[in-house]
Amino acid sequence: MNKLIKYQPLKTFVMKTTITETEGKYTVTLDGELDTACAQEFEEAMKPIHDLKEKEVTIDCAKLEYIASSGLRTLLGILKNSKANGNKVILKNLNDEVLDVFKMTGFIDIFTIE
Amino acid sequence: MGVKTSIAILITAALLMMMISAVQYYYSRRQIRADLESNTEMDLVIKSQKIRFSLESVEKALQNHMDDIERSLPYPDSLFSLTRRIVEQNPDFDGCCIAMIPDYYPEKGRLFQPCSYRDGKNIDTYLYDVKKYDYTKIDYFNYAVINDTAYWSEPYSDPDDPSATLVTYNFPVHDQNHRVVGLVGVDLDAAWLGSVLNSHHQFPSSYDLLLSGKGKLICGPDAAEVKHQEVKDMVAMINDSTLERSPSHSGKSTILTFIDKEDGAKGYVFYNTHKSIAPWQIAIVSYDDEVFAPLIHIRRINGLLALVGLLILSFIIMRTVKSIYKLRDANAEKQRLDNELMIARNIQMNMLPETYPPFPDRNDIDLYGSLVPAKMVGGDLYDFFIRDEKLYFCIGDVSGKSVPAALVMAVAHSLFLSISSHESHPARIMQGINESLCRGNESNMFVTFFIGVLDLPTGIMRYCNAGHNPPLIKKDDVVEPLPAKANLPLGVMAEMDYLLQQVIIDPETTIVLYTDGLTEAKNLQHKQFGIDRTLEAVKECHDATATQLIQTLMQKVNAFVGDAEPSDDLTLLAIRYTPQEETWTLSRSIALDNNVSQVTELNRFVQSVTEDLQLDKALSKRIKLAVEEVVVNIMEYAYIPDIKGQVKVEAMANDKRLRFILTDSGRPFDPTSVSRADTTLTVEDRPIGGLGILLVRNLMDTINYERIEGQNVLRIEKRI
Repeated sequence: MNKLIKYQPLKTFVMKTTITETEGKYTVTLDGELDTACAQEFEEAMKPIHDLKEKEVTIDCAKLEYIASSGLRTLLGILKNSKANGNKVILKNLNDEVLDVFKMTGFIDIFTIE
Repeated sequence: MGVKTSIAILITAALLMMMISAVQYYYSRRQIRADLESNTEMDLVIKSQKIRFSLESVEKALQNHMDDIERSLPYPDSLFSLTRRIVEQNPDFDGCCIAMIPDYYPEKGRLFQPCSYRDGKNIDTYLYDVKKYDYTKIDYFNYAVINDTAYWSEPYSDPDDPSATLVTYNFPVHDQNHRVVGLVGVDLDAAWLGSVLNSHHQFPSSYDLLLSGKGKLICGPDAAEVKHQEVKDMVAMINDSTLERSPSHSGKSTILTFIDKEDGAKGYVFYNTHKSIAPWQIAIVSYDDEVFAPLIHIRRINGLLALVGLLILSFIIMRTVKSIYKLRDANAEKQRLDNELMIARNIQMNMLPETYPPFPDRNDIDLYGSLVPAKMVGGDLYDFFIRDEKLYFCIGDVSGKSVPAALVMAVAHSLFLSISSHESHPARIMQGINESLCRGNESNMFVTFFIGVLDLPTGIMRYCNAGHNPPLIKKDDVVEPLPAKANLPLGVMAEMDYLLQQVIIDPETTIVLYTDGLTEAKNLQHKQFGIDRTLEAVKECHDATATQLIQTLMQKVNAFVGDAEPSDDLTLLAIRYTPQEETWTLSRSIALDNNVSQVTELNRFVQSVTEDLQLDKALSKRIKLAVEEVVVNIMEYAYIPDIKGQVKVEAMANDKRLRFILTDSGRPFDPTSVSRADTTLTVEDRPIGGLGILLVRNLMDTINYERIEGQNVLRIEKRI
């Protein structure tokens, strides 16, 4: 019964990270599914945020469909760094599934979520 | 409280004593009163006889002279010397006179009365001056002459000495024709009779009175002893006919009870009811205080004795009450200890599994346990729980009994629970417990312990024994002890390495765990139940449930022990393993290289499964996340970086559940034993890792890890 078969992909998963700046305020727009496969890429994409000092960073998750613990780790890294650099990090527009993950991990208590 | 009770007892005792002495007093008084009556009546008789005797001696003495007198009648002048002789010959006589009837001697005048009277030592003899004293005008003279009778006169005062009282005995004088021609009278000082009368008394203040027929006092006690006035008052009282008198018990005497007007002293006057020395009468006066003096004395002694008795009694009562209260306090203390022990027992029992069946939702395991302490609390323990689809169970027996054993038992139990909450390796759990127990084990208590961890999906049982009786394995009708290395009991040596052992438990196998309270249960003949009876009893249970098996075993051992005192705690635990075959409607698998880029592939695979099962979007996402997390975990931890390997992902499902089995050939890695991430820490303190397994536990219903034949096998399951 349990025979090993090579699975054919049904659909391509894409994750897009966009950082914009308006009057010193930064907005990160996340689009797609943040799984472990694209975690490295996400980490890279978020590097510029690490260099900021005393800035407000809003992470818009309206289009974030999915997040794995690898993505959470990156967000935790940003939060820790921003605390050190005096930045303010705000998460907004989390969908139910993503919010659930934040709840399960207790991240809901350490992030500012709008 | 003690003092109150003591006083109540003392008062009761005192009242009882008073009652007894009152009754005693009453009857003693009656007796003394009766004695007084009979003694006084006896006195009356004796004294009457004495008086009678004294009077008779006077009468006889006079009568002896009667012949001389009658012979001398013709010679009136010779009568003078006769009277003188009579007085001379009778020293008791005060005087003597012969009074002739009128005109008997015409030559001597109408009246003639020669007489002789004592005047000190001399005796005066003379003719009585009849002008001064005409005896014919005296009633008794005529009476005696007419009636020809002798008689004693009423008392009268001595004309010469008014303080003296005289009485006269008169005897008629006859002539040859037996005609009464005169009277001979002898005068006597009544004091003489008084001394006869008062020669002795029953009581010091008692005195006797001699009264004439008219109630006049003839003689009484010496004036030096009783005042004249008192005697006079007494005579007046005796003559007062208005006073009430009562007859004595015997009726021989009459009693007049009086109260002295002066000093209020109560007294009694006894006198003969019948006049034995008529017309005279003796009255005996006695005083109450003297009559009852012995009683008063006895009463005083009694009172003193009662007081001493009460003092002794109060001392005894104090001591007794004190000891009673001590005993009561000791009882209360014992009660308190018993209560505390009862509470301790409840606490101990609450530590143990209480509800059966313990896992009503499961059909792969059937469990029943029982613990009966020999004392209120015991040193036996057993427990079990299921974590990540593994049944953890233990049984233990602390050396010794009661409270010390119970304390060690509680420690061992909590150590088992806390260590096995994150450790699935029985030998490591055992070592953890052992190290803690050895630390500061100065009382040298030790614990025999058995830990088993049964992987429910596979039936693989890992176990570790620390000197405990090996469990029995029952498969069909074969019962044999599990081959378990004894090892040292817990608490003996901290550096002990405990051997891990492993066995595959076949379906429908029952594991029976017990403490030596079973095999060493003794009957009245001091025979032990023994391992053979145990094996036989278990064997006879055939395909019994765990509950039936334990109950049968309990019945058999109880029947064997009978009325003997249980000597040790008795603990039994039966585990029946009944895995169920699952039928899958979906079965699919994929093999992935150990590279996180393969997650895309994985997610596509999981998505295809959830889509085929037509799961809703939210659930699908949760399952996808869970599978991704476990696979990434395996890739990151089971494989050393850059070493190529594969992770096989199998999915299987039916209408109830969806299961993923992930198999890899990496180094042993048990994600279920990763300690859970603390979700309450602050941003700064939160570690970066540990989130994956936390998510899996939250997302899936069960997670189970088993190392099988060099491979890590992880199962996660979700009810759909």
